Amino acid sequence: MAKEYDLVVLGGGPGGYVAAIRAGQLKLKTAVIDKDNLGGICLNWGCIPTKSLLKNAEMYDNLQHHASDFGISFTDLKFDFGKIIRRSRDISDRITKNVEMLIKKNKIDRYRGFGKLTSNNTIDILDAKGKVSETVKAKHIIVATGASPRILPTIPVDHKQIITSTEAMSLSEQPKEMIIIGAGAIGIEFAYFYSVLGTKVTIIEMLDHILPIEDHEVSETLEKNFKKRGITLYTKTSVERAEVKEGKVEVTISREGEKSVLSADKVLSAIGVTGNIKGFGLEELGVDIFKNHIKVDKNTYKTNVDGVYAIGDVIGPPWLAHVASAEGTHCVEVIAGHHPTPIDYNNIPGCTYCQPQVASIGMTEKQAREAGYELRIGKFPFMASGKAFAIGEREGFVKLIFDAKYNELLGAHIIGAEATELIAELGLARSLEATGETIIKTVHAHPTLSESIMEAAANAYGESIHI
Amino acid sequence: MRSEIIMPKMGESVTEGTIIKWHKKPGDFVKRDEIIFEISTDKVDTEIPSQDEGYITQIFFGEGETIEVGKVVAIIESEPGSTSSAPAPKTGEVKPAPEEVKNALPETAAFASPPPPKEEAIEISATVDITMPKMGESVMEGTIIKWLKKVGDLVKKDEIIFEISTDKVDTEVPSPEAGIVSEILVAEQTTVPVGTVVARLGGSGSVVKVTTVPEVQTPVSTSSMHNIIAQNVNSQFQSELVLTVAPSGNQSSRFYSPLVLNIARTESISMGELENITGTGLGGRVSKNDVLTYLKNRAAGIANKPVTVSPVQQYTAPVQQTVSQSSQSASSFANFSSSLPADAYESIPMDNIRQKIMQHMVHSRDTSVHVTGLVEVDMTKVANFLTAEKENVLKQFGAKLTYMSFISQAVVKAIQQFPLINASIDNNTIVRKRDINLGIAVAIEPNGLIVPNIKKSGEKNLIGIAKSIAEMAEKARTKKLTPDDISGGTFTITNYGVFGTLFGTPIINQPELAILGVGAVVKRPVVIEHEGNEMIAIRSMMYLTLSHDHRLIDGMLGGRFLKAVKDYLENFNGNLTA
Repeated sequence: MAKEYDLVVLGGGPGGYVAAIRAGQLKLKTAVIDKDNLGGICLNWGCIPTKSLLKNAEMYDNLQHHASDFGISFTDLKFDFGKIIRRSRDISDRITKNVEMLIKKNKIDRYRGFGKLTSNNTIDILDAKGKVSETVKAKHIIVATGASPRILPTIPVDHKQIITSTEAMSLSEQPKEMIIIGAGAIGIEFAYFYSVLGTKVTIIEMLDHILPIEDHEVSETLEKNFKKRGITLYTKTSVERAEVKEGKVEVTISREGEKSVLSADKVLSAIGVTGNIKGFGLEELGVDIFKNHIKVDKNTYKTNVDGVYAIGDVIGPPWLAHVASAEGTHCVEVIAGHHPTPIDYNNIPGCTYCQPQVASIGMTEKQAREAGYELRIGKFPFMASGKAFAIGEREGFVKLIFDAKYNELLGAHIIGAEATELIAELGLARSLEATGETIIKTVHAHPTLSESIMEAAANAYGESIHI
Repeated sequence: MRSEIIMPKMGESVTEGTIIKWHKKPGDFVKRDEIIFEISTDKVDTEIPSQDEGYITQIFFGEGETIEVGKVVAIIESEPGSTSSAPAPKTGEVKPAPEEVKNALPETAAFASPPPPKEEAIEISATVDITMPKMGESVMEGTIIKWLKKVGDLVKKDEIIFEISTDKVDTEVPSPEAGIVSEILVAEQTTVPVGTVVARLGGSGSVVKVTTVPEVQTPVSTSSMHNIIAQNVNSQFQSELVLTVAPSGNQSSRFYSPLVLNIARTESISMGELENITGTGLGGRVSKNDVLTYLKNRAAGIANKPVTVSPVQQYTAPVQQTVSQSSQSASSFANFSSSLPADAYESIPMDNIRQKIMQHMVHSRDTSVHVTGLVEVDMTKVANFLTAEKENVLKQFGAKLTYMSFISQAVVKAIQQFPLINASIDNNTIVRKRDINLGIAVAIEPNGLIVPNIKKSGEKNLIGIAKSIAEMAEKARTKKLTPDDISGGTFTITNYGVFGTLFGTPIINQPELAILGVGAVVKRPVVIEHEGNEMIAIRSMMYLTLSHDHRLIDGMLGGRFLKAVKDYLENFNGNLTA
């Protein structure tokens, strides 16, 4: 007889495994199904392995360009590309094993295989050959199947020369030239990584700026930095097609009507992701799907099919691991009969881990103006921060956007060292509805980079001490 | 020589008088017994003669102003504009006029030799906000019935300043500080949330200045000066509003984010209003969106709570507001009864307490699923015990035993047996209360109703309960119930039997889950069984009804509870200390 569960989670990524653990905590009889290692893209092919690559790049970048500022000298600075990739893979392997242990610790059954819904309470588990190895029953099913790189027919990914992020983090050899299509977080991080290691990098972005969803001042600052590094930027540029020709990839681009052809060893297609919806029996069950993403009610994460829920990348943007985890937790609490407060999608931090790092939360200046707010904007450059001076990280700034009427912190934008760590304070400030004054009057430790946040708030009110 | 002319007391109960007409103006010479002004009080209109001879140097109040008995209205001095005879002001006693007031009175500076400021200065500290007090746990708002002080009046600390009515009690509110009433922000008959600033005392000291700035050469300018100052005070308070009306977080047990407090401050949302906003944020917190939604609703006039007009608006148009309120209620009444000829009915405005009872009853009926069970109780044993022991118990314990003493104790014992009765429903949670705070409904003449409760009834024996009931009844009769006495009840008994009613189906006192109705004890022939024989006997019988909330309490529990009450009463064993 089929094993019965309160909850079966389809997919063990940062949405699915977190949901399963939360369900375990709430004493639901739970199982999680994933054909691969737990941790999903995030731990296997995304967040974590790329961060380990980027640390290599950052170290090399610093040694190469700033060691002498610190009085350090050496001869024959080298790196081993293969070892860099191996370190990243090792970290990924170890961290996913930790997740398997957490699952076991929370008494969650783990099925390795491909889960397919045959009804709203039955799931077949298929083995690698596509044969049904087991069937389980569930009162509730959470679909957390994630997303995969979006592939356009004009940019035919062959996984060898026209690649996605997955290949980009596990290449056996460092490419000499790389064209990156798409200047979102993924494209930008690989651009930084490869350019630091000496690859000739070209970025092509359709919109006005790189990191187009960030505040324009942040994007402009990063553009200057990237150009200085020797990265070629084509913004407002679309890709007509990419094709492999004689061992190279030729990319035909169109910029304000003018066409030209670029060529490189490798082309990284980083044009976003699309929901994994095929093969799970969702269409057959009648689950509402819109543009490759499952439609849900974002207060409960219920789909239109009774007992079937969906969370994470498969329900659409923002495609972020931390959002998937939050949705997973929320959804399980709903299933357990709690009444969690809905997730505030206006308060999700976004981070890009190139150097200087970029992090933001809330509205950009442009969005805030378009929303009709009158603004008070405070900026504080790291140039004026003692700590930034001491650690040799003087690039970038903190920009805080306040509503002039009620002094609400509408948005925060940081570019600079440790920006991705600094942003957390502003997320907390926003979720606790802090005002400008609250930030100004919160004593920040000296010397820290975080003082710059306090100073930026003070600057908005004309009270900044150090500028 | 210098003498003060005061507002005379025109009778025992007369506390104030209105100046109708000045016969003299500053600078005029008056003889003794010459009429200097006319006043009107609620008893008589009369002319006031001067008691001294001399020149009128100062007049402090204009025509039409109402002044408290004993207040100085004018000064007579032996010489016109004399300075020598007036005592020099004592340092530190007279506060300098603030800049604004000085600027508003440029003519003062033009006096060649202005008479000295009057010595009598009143020590007033900073602005004191007087707020609608909280008169009990669940009391969220109060209606100002009557102002006993007006703008410009001096109040002593603890002196009654206004009367309020809430759904629980009517009471007088004393002033927290001494000072001069500088603003009255809420008109009579207006209902405002608890915590709303209803008046302000002193602060700018401007009112004091009225009596200290000398006026000699500009006759009849006192009233115009008043106006200037009043305007000044007003604009000053307006600009200060942002700072002083700000609700302060420590008045509340709820957390309000800095942003929410900022919005409240900017939009003049009072603490009382904030307290009434349902929070949808993390942990039920009031979020920015909740406040903005409230604001939108308030602007659209669909706030469910009484709309609190911003203090400034109220200050400028209190009379209009009263009028519009009463005309509103009159018009809605007119709609209701428009089919009747005007002389066929009398329209009686409902008092505050009646309105609250009305709301509570409808709220209860809309909230609880009322079902009522009925049992018949043979009270003969209790009746016999009362006849035999009542006097003894009174002598021995000082407790007056009544049927209610026994019924209350029976209820306490039954609750202890079935504690779910002693609960409330909070969304999907059952809140079972540890203490039994037994409420007893008390009718208040002519048409009020109040339910004081006996705290921790479960810890009392029959004597203790009897004493507590007597104490509560006395407090209710003499209007000495405190907010604490009438809040926190967990179960209610209503005794309509005293009116001879046999049985009723009472409405639950929210947020409780059940209410016991007590019918009259009457002698009836009933069939009883005695030593195996059935016979008809005359017994003291009583009906008890239990209205319970079927959302939580089903017939089984309700029935068992009633049975437990019945069993206690029918088998009362004479043990007074159990």
